[in-house]
Amino acid sequence: MEVSVIRSSSSQAKICKTELAYRDLRFCFGKNNDKNKILSRKPNSVCFESQITRLRKTGLRFTVKAVHSEPILESKSSTRSKSLDRVRLFVGLPLDAVSECNTVNHTRAIAAGLKALKLLGVEGVELPVWWGVVENLAMGKYDWSGYLTVAEMVEKAGLKLHVSLCFHASRQPKIPLPKWVLQIGESQSSIFFTDRSGQHYQECLSLAVDDLTVLNGKTPIQVYQDFCENFKSAFSTFIGSTITGISMGLGPDGELRYPSHHKAAKSGTITGVGEFQCYDINMLNLLKQHAEVNGNPLWGLGGPHDVPTYDQSPNSNCFFKDHGGSWESPYGDFFLSWYSSQLISRGNRLLSLASSIFHDSAVNVYGKVPLMHSWYKTRAHPSELTAGFYNTASRDGYEAVAEMFARNSCKIILPGMDLSDEHQPHDSLSSPELLFAQIRTACRKHGVEVSGQNLASGAPGGFEQIKKNMLGENMMDLFTFQRMGAHFFSPEHFPSFTEFVRSLSQPELHSDDLPAKEEEATESVRMSSDSDIHMQAA
Amino acid sequence: MATVAVDSLLQNPTLSFRPKAKLLLKPSRSLNCSRNRKLLFSRGACFCGFKPRWKIHVVKASSIDTALIDTFDASSSDDVLYKESFTVKRIEKVAGKIFIRLDQSKDQRNWQLTVGCSLPGKWILHWGVSYVGDTGSEWDQPPKDMRPPGSIAIRDYAIETPLKKLCEGDMVHEVKIDFNPSSAIAAIHFALKDEETGDWYQHRGRDFKVALVDYLEDDGNMVGAKRGFFGIWPGVAVQFFNMLFKAEASHANSQSSSSESKDSKNENRQLQRFYEEQPIVKEVSIGNLVSVAVRKSPDTTKNVLYLETDIPGDVVVHWGVCRDDAKAWEIPAAPYPPETAVFKNKALRTLLQPKDTGNRSRALFTLDEELVGFLFVLKLDDNTWLKFKGNDFYIPLSGASSVPGQHGESDTASEEISSKAYTDGIINGIRNLVSDLTSEKSQKTKIKEAQGSILQEIEKLAAEAYSIFRSSIPTFSEEAVLETKAPEPAVKISPGTGTGFEILCQGFNWESHKSGRRYMELKEKASEISSLGFTVIWLPPPTESVSPEGYMPKDLYNLNSRYGTVDELKELVKSLHEAGLKVLGDVVLNHRCAQFRNQNGVWNIFGGRLNWDDRAVVADDPHFQGRGNKSSGDNFHAAPNIDHSQEFVRKDLKEWLYWLREEIGYDGWRLDFVRGFWGGYVKDYLDASEPYFAVGEYWDSLSYTYGEMDHNQDAHRQRIIDWINATNGTAGAFDVTTKGILHSALERCEYWRLSDQKGKPPGVVGWWPSRAVTFIENHDTGSTQGHWRFPGGKEMQGYAYILTHPGTPAVFYDHIFSHYRSEIAALISLRNRNGVHCRSTVKIVKAERNVYAAIVDERVAMKIGPGYYEPPSGPERWSSVLEGRDYKVWEAS
Repeated sequence: MEVSVIRSSSSQAKICKTELAYRDLRFCFGKNNDKNKILSRKPNSVCFESQITRLRKTGLRFTVKAVHSEPILESKSSTRSKSLDRVRLFVGLPLDAVSECNTVNHTRAIAAGLKALKLLGVEGVELPVWWGVVENLAMGKYDWSGYLTVAEMVEKAGLKLHVSLCFHASRQPKIPLPKWVLQIGESQSSIFFTDRSGQHYQECLSLAVDDLTVLNGKTPIQVYQDFCENFKSAFSTFIGSTITGISMGLGPDGELRYPSHHKAAKSGTITGVGEFQCYDINMLNLLKQHAEVNGNPLWGLGGPHDVPTYDQSPNSNCFFKDHGGSWESPYGDFFLSWYSSQLISRGNRLLSLASSIFHDSAVNVYGKVPLMHSWYKTRAHPSELTAGFYNTASRDGYEAVAEMFARNSCKIILPGMDLSDEHQPHDSLSSPELLFAQIRTACRKHGVEVSGQNLASGAPGGFEQIKKNMLGENMMDLFTFQRMGAHFFSPEHFPSFTEFVRSLSQPELHSDDLPAKEEEATESVRMSSDSDIHMQAA
Repeated sequence: MATVAVDSLLQNPTLSFRPKAKLLLKPSRSLNCSRNRKLLFSRGACFCGFKPRWKIHVVKASSIDTALIDTFDASSSDDVLYKESFTVKRIEKVAGKIFIRLDQSKDQRNWQLTVGCSLPGKWILHWGVSYVGDTGSEWDQPPKDMRPPGSIAIRDYAIETPLKKLCEGDMVHEVKIDFNPSSAIAAIHFALKDEETGDWYQHRGRDFKVALVDYLEDDGNMVGAKRGFFGIWPGVAVQFFNMLFKAEASHANSQSSSSESKDSKNENRQLQRFYEEQPIVKEVSIGNLVSVAVRKSPDTTKNVLYLETDIPGDVVVHWGVCRDDAKAWEIPAAPYPPETAVFKNKALRTLLQPKDTGNRSRALFTLDEELVGFLFVLKLDDNTWLKFKGNDFYIPLSGASSVPGQHGESDTASEEISSKAYTDGIINGIRNLVSDLTSEKSQKTKIKEAQGSILQEIEKLAAEAYSIFRSSIPTFSEEAVLETKAPEPAVKISPGTGTGFEILCQGFNWESHKSGRRYMELKEKASEISSLGFTVIWLPPPTESVSPEGYMPKDLYNLNSRYGTVDELKELVKSLHEAGLKVLGDVVLNHRCAQFRNQNGVWNIFGGRLNWDDRAVVADDPHFQGRGNKSSGDNFHAAPNIDHSQEFVRKDLKEWLYWLREEIGYDGWRLDFVRGFWGGYVKDYLDASEPYFAVGEYWDSLSYTYGEMDHNQDAHRQRIIDWINATNGTAGAFDVTTKGILHSALERCEYWRLSDQKGKPPGVVGWWPSRAVTFIENHDTGSTQGHWRFPGGKEMQGYAYILTHPGTPAVFYDHIFSHYRSEIAALISLRNRNGVHCRSTVKIVKAERNVYAAIVDERVAMKIGPGYYEPPSGPERWSSVLEGRDYKVWEAS
């Protein structure tokens, strides 16, 4: 019954209205529940159950109530609860939670951290599992011991685990690709993405070699597949119970994109447009074939010649110019279509691999899509183009991406939920919020669920923005907060994080302010006993 | 801090700056009096804040020597349900008097005003005079011969003279002012200040005023006034004084000798001797302990609560018990301790019994087991009530909330909890009324209590995790480390250069002190400044200063200035750091303004924490009669120049700089007027304070011949370089040479000046670029002073030069927030984008009459001047990225 109510309604929920309805509801139910009993069941945990759960339950209850008497309330409640799902909050574990030699770094700190998070009401933690740690020494030789230890700790702490399979490298902390892969790369640098000036990006393999037998007679895809299968068997006791989600690494930083920026931008400055990464031999081969098939062999000799360099602005060369830029020419369309389709195919290869491996487990499979928000307000969207998303003022590049995710029944993780337009550098033409909205729209259209992440760097006003994104019209089912570490627990940060977690359950506080409204102003934290009641009733 | 009877003064900001006494005199008499009285009255019922000290009970136990408390301790910890000591602050009032005597001095010619005070303290007489014929009520400085030794001038209208003890061991302090009655002085005005507490004492809310001529209008604050009613005003004082102190207050004595008035020799003056006393009350904060212990009675089912305190005098406990967390007071059943009475059917009053040993008093309460809490407040014998943070003391009897584990909590955490518990109580009370769901209510409270302890647990865990993570390499540096550009070699930070990629913002101009809230203004701009690409911000001099701009420092440890308070400064530095900016403090080390005069009346004795004497002053400036060594540099003649060759001076200054780093969080220094002392001392200071960046102001004149600037300014830049050398390169210096040459080049269209004979930049930046801080304007050269203003309208050419060239560029605040802003921002972003740094190579390709052009690091090309220039087409392809009035910049692709 509950489900049907939720799914059937289509209008948007506004939380304030919900509260209203909810209060009325409480009158109906408040007194005749045996609270003592309920309370004795959960005497000891702070419940930061998000309001979504409650509201959904409210919805349920409202239907009951409607039966009693008030049709108006019913309509209210159903509009309320329709889009609300439960937001589960995860926190990322340190990137180097497991060291290169497979020991757990700062075990005690992580143990204390897990306990704190559990008490705070966080649902689970995210654990990056590195290719370069597990399969470091030789192909097919896996060592999961460090990660298994962490998984046990998490399970013991009563938290859920979201595993990110990382087939890329990290610069800081330094976690390179497996040694044996790097050795191959030394003699065969074409396995890496390469830019126009011939510089290699050594932090992940080029998508062009996905199906080439460059790794000791195996293709990278086969190696990734072996890795995933081995992971599945090693963690079989956790998958579906403690492990509820798996992110498939799709490229640089795990994201589905080209490494269009080899270095991270300096904060506070305007990011340049980046560069196309189609200059390794294999990419060039693919491009050449594609051009020949299209009857324009001359277009297959290289990428566009009139593009700016990494840190330049779009207008410093012709390709991305707002008006009359080559991106709008037939050649531009040819190149960009090919470049972006290569990326989507790579995503498809990896996600179909993952979903075929994990489809019989009770876990969700995720993939991360970047938020290339710089220059979004120009017509060409150059940052997105160089990263491989053919999304311009005249073309929606995320439809195909969302469709690909839908095809593989995977969910999208969007990082950068803490970014707001307001805090973008002065005069920059970036718009994280608009881009975010566009991707969400595409996802909604294809029924792809979106979960959020913040950038680990802590954007100004980040918490507010995250909250806005999470509780806005488009609810998210999961949010992963990056990332546990010294800063995370520092006196400068942790209290605001606590505040943030508590504020996610703000509506719950409101629901409790019958009969004494003063409470919300004076009490710092409060769990509502009502939520317990509802939980039990539901 | 102790509050003071004449409290309204503290709220009167005009007093501490005291521009005009007029303001103080304006309010009408009646208004003033009544306001004053009310304040006094409310003081009487006031008590201070108070904090539970969670750990103190251990110490406490050892100091308590009764058998009873010993049994408490001896009994197993299971028995003790609760044990706590609270620190209580109460205000003790010390009454004393201010006396004012006007008398003829012994030689019968002069008169003498004596002001004294009978209370201990560091008393300062803050005084001035008004002259006959003065309209208005402004103060003037008294003539020099009237000022007693040790006086200090406060701006141009007042004098501060310390009161001296009459004799050692005596409480009475006084000061005598001699004056000639035939002078034109109409009245002496004063107020008394206690430097220990910073409190001011005045007469009925205004300055004391002693009229020396008889036609002066009595504004109501005149003391020793004739017409026989000078007894009246003190009478009022006695009245409200009594209200405060009831019977035991000592009466103010006011006795007059005016009846014996004698005509002075001066015909115009009808001076009369008088002697008058004014009662004053000084409030002293005193800490006491209240200890409470609860344990189970061994033989009955009851609990025994033991309360003890070291508050002197009669202490009455008003107490009650409660049966639930609503904390409603209830009177328990007997037995009660001795000396207990029921008070208005609401509470019990028990007088604590003095203990045999020590000055303590105590009581023992036997309470039924089912009671949940014990509530009390204390009433002292001066009618002061002591409460817990404004609420009742609450002692839980159930033992639930006093598990030993909780004693480790931090103060703040526990305070929160207790206040929360209180609000919970109120809310539950209301609930109770409304819904009458008693059982539900208590359940809820339990949950909330559980929640409170869970939050504490979370905090503890987080603190533990933090300490471990912090001790290893932080995993969070992800972004920060990625930001540093990969091709750069490991960045070496040195105080002379920072990272080498610094761009300075001068965060103030000559007028910035006027708003009085500069720090707060800058705080709002922190993220904006950072987002423009600046990495370092230079803040105005922070110390107390004789001049409002801050460059005449007085007490180096007093960081309340016209720019804001020390707390605002800390807040600002924190915000700037959060925005990613390093912060430079403007430190004036060359000179310092004295607070006292030496025996010759010369101002060279310092006050404040660094109370140096004239040995700290250089010997070769006759104005200040220093007893130190000769100056190691040029002298700045407006204030005593500090003798840096003295070991104690250097030690103090090093400590001060270190303190600024630690206390305020400054990252580095802008050193004022470093021409005044040897650069080697600067090295010493920088080695001690380890700044992230430091820059000195070595400003002297360029070389001119017949009024025309010489092309060769090598001698000028050599002097600056010599100074940098003396600091061993630990500091950079402002490139005054470059600024000077830019002036001539731009103003006279002589761009050829911008290349020296060897084809290098002609300023410091050409010789030692990493130590050159290039700038075109600052608060002295530009702003409203305009001592050496950059050619108007050509500022952007100047910035196009310094922001593309090596050296560390500094941008003046006025320019950033002007119509140049976007152009400057574009230049900064270009500099950052291309990684131009302080050691970048510059190739001058054109230095002709009307155009100068250079290529920096083969990545950036620039030209200034009206002439034509285009970068050569070669292997690099140049694209124009910026163009403005007479300048253009290209980037290589």
